[in-house]
Amino acid sequence: MDEKWVRRLNSLQIAIVAFLILAPIAWMVLASFKPSAEVTAYPPKLFFAPTLDNYVQLFAKTPFAHYTWNSAVITVGSTLIGIVLGVPASFAVSWTRITWPATVTLLARMAPGTLFLLPWYVMFREVGLIGSYTALIVTHAVITMPIVIWVLLPYFDNIPRSVLESAQVDGCSVPRILWRIALPLVMPGLTVAAILSFVFSWNYFLFALVLSNGDTKTLIAASFNFIGEGAQNWGALMAAATLIAVPPLVLAFFVQRRLVSGLAMGAVKG
Amino acid sequence: MSQSIGTKNQLTYLSVPAVVFTLALIAFPFAYTVWLSLHEFTFGGASTLNYGKNYVLMLEDAEFWNGLKITLILYVLSLALQLVLGTYVAILLHGSKKLSGIVRTLMISPFVLPPVVVGMMWLVVLDPSIGAANFILTSLGLPRSDWLASPQWVIPTVAFVDTWQWTPYVALIVLGGLQSLPPNVYEAAQIDGASRAKTFWRITLPLLMPTIVTAAILRSVDLLRFFDIIYITTQGGPGNASNTLNIYGFRKGFEFFEIGYASALMVTLSAIVLGAVVILTQARKRVAW
Repeated sequence: MDEKWVRRLNSLQIAIVAFLILAPIAWMVLASFKPSAEVTAYPPKLFFAPTLDNYVQLFAKTPFAHYTWNSAVITVGSTLIGIVLGVPASFAVSWTRITWPATVTLLARMAPGTLFLLPWYVMFREVGLIGSYTALIVTHAVITMPIVIWVLLPYFDNIPRSVLESAQVDGCSVPRILWRIALPLVMPGLTVAAILSFVFSWNYFLFALVLSNGDTKTLIAASFNFIGEGAQNWGALMAAATLIAVPPLVLAFFVQRRLVSGLAMGAVKG
Repeated sequence: MSQSIGTKNQLTYLSVPAVVFTLALIAFPFAYTVWLSLHEFTFGGASTLNYGKNYVLMLEDAEFWNGLKITLILYVLSLALQLVLGTYVAILLHGSKKLSGIVRTLMISPFVLPPVVVGMMWLVVLDPSIGAANFILTSLGLPRSDWLASPQWVIPTVAFVDTWQWTPYVALIVLGGLQSLPPNVYEAAQIDGASRAKTFWRITLPLLMPTIVTAAILRSVDLLRFFDIIYITTQGGPGNASNTLNIYGFRKGFEFFEIGYASALMVTLSAIVLGAVVILTQARKRVAW
């Protein structure tokens, strides 16, 4: 009897927690479907005739599609660079146990983004790369490469040494061992690393704020500008927010089990 | 033997691209910022060494101290909320195997949302005149608030938003810790007839401490350099009420282009983050079992 009530009370508390998490997100999505007059209605309306007006306006009145393209190019580009640089590095760190290359990347996880942005700005300005895709892709790779290295490390560590060593005895070169033997074995890890990189590069705000121009702005940086202009148009603002949130939410659900340890960069065991 | 040296070389080559990238875009810029912080920097002009003048200016700058104060208040408030609530939610989830699958999925959403989305979302919910938050408060007969627009409430409000976003993350880390606790300890406690509360305070919590401190380290790194949500919602305002060190440094650098001074602020902030990480890592060793 006592046990049963404890369990019920537990479930009730979980339901409250779930509601608190979900409510603001649901409110944002609801607002994005409200007719413009009702978005700002007070008291706020829970029931209304849903409309796609806000979404139509978003694409008609702003270069939303273009910003989406920018975000896609920068996110995919930086994720690919992260993988190309990070996979061999992670493999080498795991095999040799020389960890300093991985440790130095943690600087990027600890120092404020502005600290890097100041010298980058000076450097990129010097070579005329401010506002270029290159500058944005490369700086976003500073986010993605450490993720790839750290997410993959435990996966590489899990490969039995004997597998690698016997391949070596058979005369297999190291890059070939990585490509033919190790990489197929860590594919699940690579998926997690790629998804996490994508999500974090997509979400990243600060670098594009300074290093992009009107033409190369990411969705995230562009929506920040919408806020300034959006005081009159909450509905379109909520439509933008809803659309930007879709890719990270969908992708994260695929790797939910590995997400927490992946984010912790080796500090938490999965 | 010669083969193992060959292997070593090949492995070294494999990490060369990543190391070069790290040196060029992380380590060198880091060192360059330290260098900049010791100079009077002007674009296109010559930079002159000014022997720590930026740091002296910083110590005399009331806005620096204000930023430091805000950074620390926001840090302590948010961290305390997130660790306590996160542990609480983790224990709830641990006690209910049935629900935890769905709720786990749901709990991922806040911290994978882009900060811009989180900021926009709460701007609408917390809007002083049309927001749902004030509507709910007034319906319950409670006083309304200006939230992000109030100098007095802006920091607690930002701490609340960050807590909304990151408590689930802390909870999932702590849940992982709970699931890896040795079950025999509980059996022993049960046989000894220990009460639920006693089991928690005397057994669960001490055993969980390493995990909680790990969560604290991960959150500290983000909270001490708090930027996104504030820049998106208030840009340091109203007035300078939410002008954290990171916001202040960013604005000095990219609104006023005082690159040298901004660099000094960022080097100082990095030292604070590093200090917190070192202290907490030591603390984790002390609570390890």
